[in-house]
Amino acid sequence: MPPGGFSRTRNVDYDDDDAYDDEDDYSEEGEGGDGMTEHDKEQMRVGTTRVRQGLGELSEFTSDAQIQEALWHYYYDVDKSVVYLKNKLGTTEPKQEAPKKEKATSRFDQAASVADQKAPTTTGKQTHPQSSWLEESAYRVAYLSPPPISMPTNEAIGDFFWDVPWGNVPLHRLGVITLDTPRYRGGLLGGSSKLAALAAKRRKDREEAEAAATKANSEANAAVAMLDKLTVKSKEPTSNLRGGDTERPSRARYPGRRRSRSRSPPPEAIDEAILKPAVQQPAIVCELPAQRAKASMFASTLCGGSSTAARRPFPTLEVFPAPYTIYKEYDSAKAFASPSPDDIKKRVQGEKLAQSVEKLAVADEPKVKSKNLNVVQEFEKSGLKRMANFVVVGHVDHGKSTLMGRLLYDLKVIDQRSIDKLRKEAENIGKSSFALAWVMDETSEERSRGVTVDIATNYFETDKTRFTILDAPGHKDFIPNMISGASQADFPVLVIDASTNSFESGLKGQTKEHILIARSMGMQHIIVAVNKMDTVSWSKARFDDITKRMTAFLTEASFLEKRITFIPLAGLTGENVVKKIESSAAHWYTGETLLEALERVELPKRNLQKALRLSVADVFRGDMRSPLSISGRIDSGTVQVGDTILALPANETATIKAIEVQDAPVDWAVAGQIPTLHLTDIDPIHLRQGDMVCAPNAPVKLVKAFTSKLLAFEHVLPMPVEVFRSTLNSPGGIRTLSARLNKFTGEIVKKKPRIVKPGEVARVVVQLERELPIEEGMRVVLRERGRTVGAGLMENVA
Amino acid sequence: MARRTFPRRNNAPSGGTCAPVFARTIKEPGYLQTLRPSRSRGSNELRKIFLQTSIIPSASGSAYLEIPSSSPASKSTLIPPTSSLKITASVQGPKPLPRSVPFSPSLLLTTTVKFAPFATRHRRGYIRDSIERDLGVHLETALRGVIIGERWPKSGVEVVITILEGDEDGWWGDSGNDGSVNRGGWGLLNVLAGCITVASAAITDAGIDCVDVVCGGVAALTRDPAARDKKELVRILDPCPAEHKEIVAACAVGYLASRDEITEIWMKGDVGADPNALVEGATHAAVGSLAVVKEVLLEALQAKFQGPMEGNESGLKRKAQDVEMTG
Repeated sequence: MPPGGFSRTRNVDYDDDDAYDDEDDYSEEGEGGDGMTEHDKEQMRVGTTRVRQGLGELSEFTSDAQIQEALWHYYYDVDKSVVYLKNKLGTTEPKQEAPKKEKATSRFDQAASVADQKAPTTTGKQTHPQSSWLEESAYRVAYLSPPPISMPTNEAIGDFFWDVPWGNVPLHRLGVITLDTPRYRGGLLGGSSKLAALAAKRRKDREEAEAAATKANSEANAAVAMLDKLTVKSKEPTSNLRGGDTERPSRARYPGRRRSRSRSPPPEAIDEAILKPAVQQPAIVCELPAQRAKASMFASTLCGGSSTAARRPFPTLEVFPAPYTIYKEYDSAKAFASPSPDDIKKRVQGEKLAQSVEKLAVADEPKVKSKNLNVVQEFEKSGLKRMANFVVVGHVDHGKSTLMGRLLYDLKVIDQRSIDKLRKEAENIGKSSFALAWVMDETSEERSRGVTVDIATNYFETDKTRFTILDAPGHKDFIPNMISGASQADFPVLVIDASTNSFESGLKGQTKEHILIARSMGMQHIIVAVNKMDTVSWSKARFDDITKRMTAFLTEASFLEKRITFIPLAGLTGENVVKKIESSAAHWYTGETLLEALERVELPKRNLQKALRLSVADVFRGDMRSPLSISGRIDSGTVQVGDTILALPANETATIKAIEVQDAPVDWAVAGQIPTLHLTDIDPIHLRQGDMVCAPNAPVKLVKAFTSKLLAFEHVLPMPVEVFRSTLNSPGGIRTLSARLNKFTGEIVKKKPRIVKPGEVARVVVQLERELPIEEGMRVVLRERGRTVGAGLMENVA
Repeated sequence: MARRTFPRRNNAPSGGTCAPVFARTIKEPGYLQTLRPSRSRGSNELRKIFLQTSIIPSASGSAYLEIPSSSPASKSTLIPPTSSLKITASVQGPKPLPRSVPFSPSLLLTTTVKFAPFATRHRRGYIRDSIERDLGVHLETALRGVIIGERWPKSGVEVVITILEGDEDGWWGDSGNDGSVNRGGWGLLNVLAGCITVASAAITDAGIDCVDVVCGGVAALTRDPAARDKKELVRILDPCPAEHKEIVAACAVGYLASRDEITEIWMKGDVGADPNALVEGATHAAVGSLAVVKEVLLEALQAKFQGPMEGNESGLKRKAQDVEMTG
């Protein structure tokens, strides 16, 4: 065994034992007498010889062991030991010899006597004169009892109990188990150093006082004198005995404090102590304990009642008999003698009830009732206005949001008060020109940064048309949001900053990218709003220049020239947005305003008859009545309240509880609208942005790879890309380049090209990371590391 | 003393409340001195104590302590000669600690001592001041060693002391016109001793295991007015500061009588050469008050067990007639 580990374990054990020091002391008694110090042994030896002298002739009847025992119990006090032994021997002299003989025969007894002899030596250590003063207090009584009656020898056990009956042991034969109180170990409770110091001082004082013990009495004050009187009986023999005591100086008392001094009683007193050994007496006896006061007026009010004895008794719960029990009929009536009404009814009906209950079935009816409308007919009947959704695109800071804010303001959609409020707020942060933009940009982040981050939706309505504005972010970091917005629109409004450099930088930047994305989404019409014309003082030359360059670019992006409309305007001042231009510098322009152009735009045909397709743009939790809502553009088909829809790719059905279009509740919605659908019977985890909602009878297939006709904006190689379909975006990759196509005829120019250059059209296979709902004719945008590399049209499943 | 005024309360006058001054006091300068109380008890005699447990039904343990004035009331004036100590204690718990508190293997003791605003001649604030917090710490020291806290891990107990009337620091007639007596705060020692005693009774009432009943006691050294050279000091138990013109030193202890242990000690003033005598005196005073505490607790215990037994006996008297139920 490694010694280190062993010793450590043992140390731990000793530590644990610390709490039980007291017990340890007792158990050590059996171990033998090696605990006796040299000093003790010397004292014992000297004491024994002196006691023998004192005993005189009796000494021959006494064994050394007995003398030592007595000496031990009297703290080597020779005189007391002599008196004790004399008393003992004097009364029991003849008997003394008889048991001695008996003992001599018993080995057990020999061992016991040896143990007896040795036992005190260890305890002697504890009660060394140097030990704590407290130890001589009340507990001393227990130690002063003569050595315990040794266990009878084994053959004597029967004799010991011979007259004890089984059961009903008489009281005087019952053993009394007395607990030794844990010994006090010097330190004061709480361990305060101040108190410890005080205790140490007391001890020291006492020792000093011991030297001048006799003086102390005379000097004691009146209170002490009184105390002494009270204890005169127990004191006197003690002091007598102390007369010859030279080894142990007598102990002094504190003035005014008295302890139970039964430490060295005369032999007669020992017997008393044996009778009641466990009584613990307080260290201080107060001669004048406080009296109990009677309750004062205040106390009796507070405590209720002057004394505890006079308190009212505990309230006892009386049981009140029911009032009808006093009538005679109550006793005579046997209410439960006849069958109960239920039993009678059951007997009449027989088994029918059980059968009828079995027939009962809870029909699982849908909670929402469908009106079963023919939505297409309803739509035609309603004579609804033309509905147009347009997305506002353009380079960052070209004034898209401001232009839309102006449009809404001039059309009185936004009232003067709100605008004034926004102006004030904008001025507060030193961006007064942003006030109109804040009509669209509502979040604090957008406002503090001064750029649009997410698609903002707003509505306005003219005599002929209901418009939905989708304000797309211009910043290149938010292109995904722009794609999701553009996918919901019918046509784009491109905003271009006419001021010098701004237009040029835009053309290189997001103006170009937005146009490409919009075109690849299948939009055919485009309105180009040449903004900030007031900064170039409505210069015709500048407008023409921009028109020329943009036309060239747009036709390259395969917009037809007749479907492009250019409008010079100023968003901040509102000229040519709704109102005609008033500035004289712009007399050259006689064309239409932005609003007129918007109304004139030809809208694509709506696919009302096709199956429902809806791209989820947003999933949100509404109020209590509509726990789950989705919004998005209906690409084709119709929905009405009560319809069951299928959400893909989760493949979970849901029921439409309510429909809102442009914040107004309606019964149905058709393709081209952007409704909000409130759903039930579906868990929110099954729906997320980019999901496809379709009719359960005509679901979209989930595909993992598909071929696509791709218009490349950048060099395209087989590479990982991000695939955007409407609001959905998913990681994927271009697996193979199948063929390069003729841009206009669609004929295959070259099979398996290695690379597709910008502007070329190719057939590629797109691999998706997970299965997504995509079907023929859907448009996808492929982006790689923040750049749009191409736009494609889904052809078939690969 | 900085004190906040509360807008929704009827705020008391900000200064002290002084005893009314009667015309006779001004006319006859000697008259005031005739009202001065003097100690009529012996030097070892304690004042009477009134103690009552279980006064607050909602608390798990509570007690009320009152030490009425021992001086006889004067016939010529309505002003009481000395104040009388009135303290209530309530014990809340042991109850589980809130989750925010880290694990504690033993009972967490919290003591709160508060003077009622009207408890002393000088009005106290509603918020605990430094004196009250100090008393709270003293009280906690006195009680912590007494409670066997290991039996309640993860729990806390709150001892809330309200002093309804505190001992004054001196006689009202000696005070200035503002009614404040700024003379060393001798009354606080009596208050602390009372707090210890009443808290101990309340803890026992709550049934919290203790090693012993801790009791408070006070002793003081005063100049003997009868002595010729005014230098002689007299040790008295349970001083009433109003009854003595000059207190030289005083000491309050929390004392466990059956274990002969001191858990708390607070000494004030010039104790001179023999501080032990003062401590001895204080322990004697504590043992004296223990007699009352024991008696009251015993009575409370008897009342507790007698009541239900009587109730049970009366409950047995009722007999119900059984009804046979058929069908």
